Amino acid sequence: MSPSQQPSSPNPTHLKIRFARRFLRALNNLNITKTSPDDDDDGENRVYRRSRRVKIAAYTAMASVVGSRRAWSRAVLWKVRNRSRNRSLLSVRPRRKRVDCKITNNDHDHAKVFVRRRNPNPKRDPFRDSGQVLKLRKLVPGAETMDSWCLMDETADYIKCLAAQVEVMKTLVDLYTTT
Amino acid sequence: MSNRRPASSTPRITDEQIIELVSKLQQLLPELRNRRSNKASASKVLQETCNYVRSLHKEVDDLSDRLSQLLSTIDNDSPQASIIRSLINQ
Repeated sequence: MSPSQQPSSPNPTHLKIRFARRFLRALNNLNITKTSPDDDDDGENRVYRRSRRVKIAAYTAMASVVGSRRAWSRAVLWKVRNRSRNRSLLSVRPRRKRVDCKITNNDHDHAKVFVRRRNPNPKRDPFRDSGQVLKLRKLVPGAETMDSWCLMDETADYIKCLAAQVEVMKTLVDLYTTT
Repeated sequence: MSNRRPASSTPRITDEQIIELVSKLQQLLPELRNRRSNKASASKVLQETCNYVRSLHKEVDDLSDRLSQLLSTIDNDSPQASIIRSLINQ
């Protein structure tokens, strides 16, 4: 992505409505499996797994609302898809080459992803590996090999969507606790 | 400067672009938004961004904990459930 073009920023209200709808649908589907009794699961493990499923549903819903136009949403969807795929296939998977440089696989599991670096020249990108930028790269999904401009653009979009997600989840919690 | 190398697809990232992005990020951060001077240093903005992203992740964790607890105890005939159901089926 060249720095001269700017993708349109999401309207926060539309974002929240679409996220809320998908998230609620996912929660509804989750609810069916949650009430099934697991005899070999102790209480704490079950609670942890439940909250983890809700968390994954939230991130997946937000990433699917944003779609594939952002690198972080692609990375999130890729991670979730890989996680479910790695659960079903326990054998070692063959290495795959990917030409798209923006998706990185942060799992330390079997599948390895090769990424082609763009703009690694320090002359063109002086802020690339400074201290805070490195921390940011770990926090924003899919941002490990981007140049500084793309990283900060992705971060801005990621923050907007995360903040919207948190607000919707807070509203839902309030709604459910008023009994 | 960018026309010199045929292999490069993007020109050098200029300082103005970085400054523009830093100010855009600053607008999003709740800590630094109310500052009178809109010239917080880039390192401060980046640090606040990292902290903010981390705090948002933690909030998502907490909220999903609470939501999973609440969902397990929800009654199917309560008015909230019917509201939720109508929202889903829209």
